[in-house]
Amino acid sequence: MFANFRLSFAWLHTWFGLVLGFVLMAAFFFGSLSVFDREIDRWALPETRIEPQPMPSFDTILASRFAEIAAPEPEELAAASKRSTQPLPEKLKPALFGAYTTHRDPVLDVFVGFEVPNSTLPNDLAYGSVVIDPRDGRKLPKDRLALGSAFFYPMHYSLHFTWYDIGMWIVGLAAMAMLAAVVSGVVMHRKIFREFFTFRPGKKLLRGTLDLHNLTGVVALPFHFLWALSGLIIFAGVYFPVFDKMLQPLVEQHEREEARHTGLDAEPSGVPGTLASVDAMMIAAKDHWVSRGVPGEVGYLQVTHVGSSNAYVSIYRDSTDRVATAEGLHFQGSTGRVIFEDPPTGAAETVNGFLTGMHLQQFRHWTLRWLIFVGGLLSCVCITTGFIFFVEKRKHVHARQGTSGSRWVDALAVTTVTGMMVATLATLVMNRALPEDLANRDLWEKSTFWIAWLTALTHALWRSAAVLQARMSKAWAEQSWAIAALGAVAVVLNAATTGDHLGRTLMAGYWPVAGVDLMLIASACAAAIAARKLRARAAEVVPVNPEVPDYA
Amino acid sequence: MATATQSSWHVIARVCASIFGSYAFTWGFIALGASSLIIGGTAFHEASSLTSMLGFLVYLWAFCWAFIAASLARVWVVLAGGGVVMTLAGWWLSRSIA
Repeated sequence: MFANFRLSFAWLHTWFGLVLGFVLMAAFFFGSLSVFDREIDRWALPETRIEPQPMPSFDTILASRFAEIAAPEPEELAAASKRSTQPLPEKLKPALFGAYTTHRDPVLDVFVGFEVPNSTLPNDLAYGSVVIDPRDGRKLPKDRLALGSAFFYPMHYSLHFTWYDIGMWIVGLAAMAMLAAVVSGVVMHRKIFREFFTFRPGKKLLRGTLDLHNLTGVVALPFHFLWALSGLIIFAGVYFPVFDKMLQPLVEQHEREEARHTGLDAEPSGVPGTLASVDAMMIAAKDHWVSRGVPGEVGYLQVTHVGSSNAYVSIYRDSTDRVATAEGLHFQGSTGRVIFEDPPTGAAETVNGFLTGMHLQQFRHWTLRWLIFVGGLLSCVCITTGFIFFVEKRKHVHARQGTSGSRWVDALAVTTVTGMMVATLATLVMNRALPEDLANRDLWEKSTFWIAWLTALTHALWRSAAVLQARMSKAWAEQSWAIAALGAVAVVLNAATTGDHLGRTLMAGYWPVAGVDLMLIASACAAAIAARKLRARAAEVVPVNPEVPDYA
Repeated sequence: MATATQSSWHVIARVCASIFGSYAFTWGFIALGASSLIIGGTAFHEASSLTSMLGFLVYLWAFCWAFIAASLARVWVVLAGGGVVMTLAGWWLSRSIA
C-alpha cells in the first residue's frame, strides 16, 4: 500500500493493533482468568467448596436428573425456533444425554439435547442443563453464577454478545489481527534478538514503553501466535462452516461410511428401546482402561438416540494425563455390549486435537497452567504498552494541532486496561455482598459488571481531557486506586461471608479459594504501587517543546 | 510512521480486501482443498482438520498480502476471484460423488 513493504506492515500493525487491540485486551485478560475458571467458581459459589468428585452413578443419580430436565433453556429454545421451518411443538423429544466433569470440578454439568424438528440443520439439537452436586444429585440453583466458567470464560471468546454470534466474529477478527500483528511486528523490528534483552525503564516513557512492548512481544512470541491461532482453530466450524453449509454430500457420505464402520447409527431407529445398566458400562470402561495400562476416571458420558432401540452410550476417559485426543468406548444401550472403541486419530486430526487441548488445558499440570496464565498476562502487557506508545508518540503533536485523536485512544485504553479490572473486581465484591437467597442473583452480578465497566469508561472519558494538553490522564491513577480498594474489599468480604479466610484456607491447603484470595491481594498491592507512581508522573511538568522521536 | 500517500478510498478498499477478500479466498481454499482430498481418498476428518487449520494460515497470508501487494486490482482479482473460482470448483467436486 505504501512505498515499501515495511511501511505497509507498520500501517497494518498500528491501525489493526489499535482498533482490535481493545477487543484483544478482553480476549487475553478474560482468557487469562479462564485458566483458573474452576477456582474462581469455587470462590464465587461457597456452597461448592468441596473436593473434585468422580462421575456419579448413572442408574441411581444421573438418570432421574436427566428425566427432570423437561425443556431446553429459554434462549436455546428461541434460537431453535428460528432454525425450524415450522412452529415448534409444545414438548420436544429428548435425543441426547450428556454429563461432563474434569479433575478440577466438584460439581457436574448435566445436559439434555432435544430434537429440533423441521430444522434447517441436520441432527439439530437444543440444550437444557442443570448443575448438580455429584455426591447426592442435589441441583444447584439456576441463578447462581459460576463467575469463572460461565461468565469470564465465555466473555473471552464471545464478549457475551450472542446476537448472531457477532461477539465471536469480532473476537475472531481480533485474533486474526493478533496473528497479523505478530508477523508485521517481526517485519518492522529487524533487531529481533537484541530486543529480547532490551528494557530501558529509566529512559523516557516513550522509549521504555516501546522496549517493554517489544520485549513482551518477542519473549512470548510463540504464545501470542499459538494461542490466537488455536483459539481460531477451536471455532473453525463457526468461522468457516464450509462443511455444514456447502459440502453436505461429502459429510453425509462420511456419516454413512462411519455408521457402517463403527456400528453407531447416525439416526435413531424410530423403535422405542430401553437402557441397560450404564453403571455396569462405566465399570467395564474403567476395567478396560486398566487393562490397557491407562487407568482413569470417566470424564464425559453421553447417551445418543435416547429412548430408541439403537441408543448407544459413549464413555470417555478424562484427559487428566494428556493434552488432547478423546478416548471413547461406545456401548450398545440395550445390552451394554461394546460396539466400538475409538481408534488412534490420524496425523492432521492429532495436531488439531493437540492445538485445541493446549488451549483448553484439561490436563493436570500446574506448572504449565501457571505458565499459560503468565503468557496471557504478557499478551496483555504487550497490547497495553502498544496503546500507551500510540498515545505518547502522538499526544504532543495532537496538542499542538488541537486534534483529539490521542485523547479518545487514551480513554479507551484506560477503559480496557484498568477499567476491565475494576469491573471484574466490582463483580467479585458484589458476588460476596449480595444476600445469598436474592432472586435472580446472577442478573445482579452480571449487571454490576457492565455498569462498573460503563462507569470506568465515563470516568476515563472525563479525565482524558488532560491528554488534549499533552498531560497524563488522572484516570490511570484513580482507577488503579479503585482496583486496590476493590481487591482488598473482596478478600475481606469473602472472609466475612464464608469464614474461609486465608488463615483457614492456607492451613487446610484449599488452593482454589486461597489462590484467588492471594491473587486479589497481589493485584491490590501492585495496583497501589502503580497508582502512587502514576500520580507522581501525572504531577510532572510537561516540557514546553518536547522532542518527538520516530521509533516505529 | 509513514505519512499516508493514498486516498482514504484506497485504504478502505485495501482493508475490505484484507478482511472480506481473504475470507472468500480461504473459504474457497477449504472447499476445494477438502473436496479434492476426500475424493482423492483422504479420510474425512484428516481432510477437514488439515484444511481448516491451514485455512487460518492462508487467511493470514492473504490478509498481509492485501496490504503489501503493489496493485490493488490484482489483490481483488486474486482474493475475491480466486475465492469464487475455488468455491465453485469445490462445490462441483462435492456434488460429483453423488
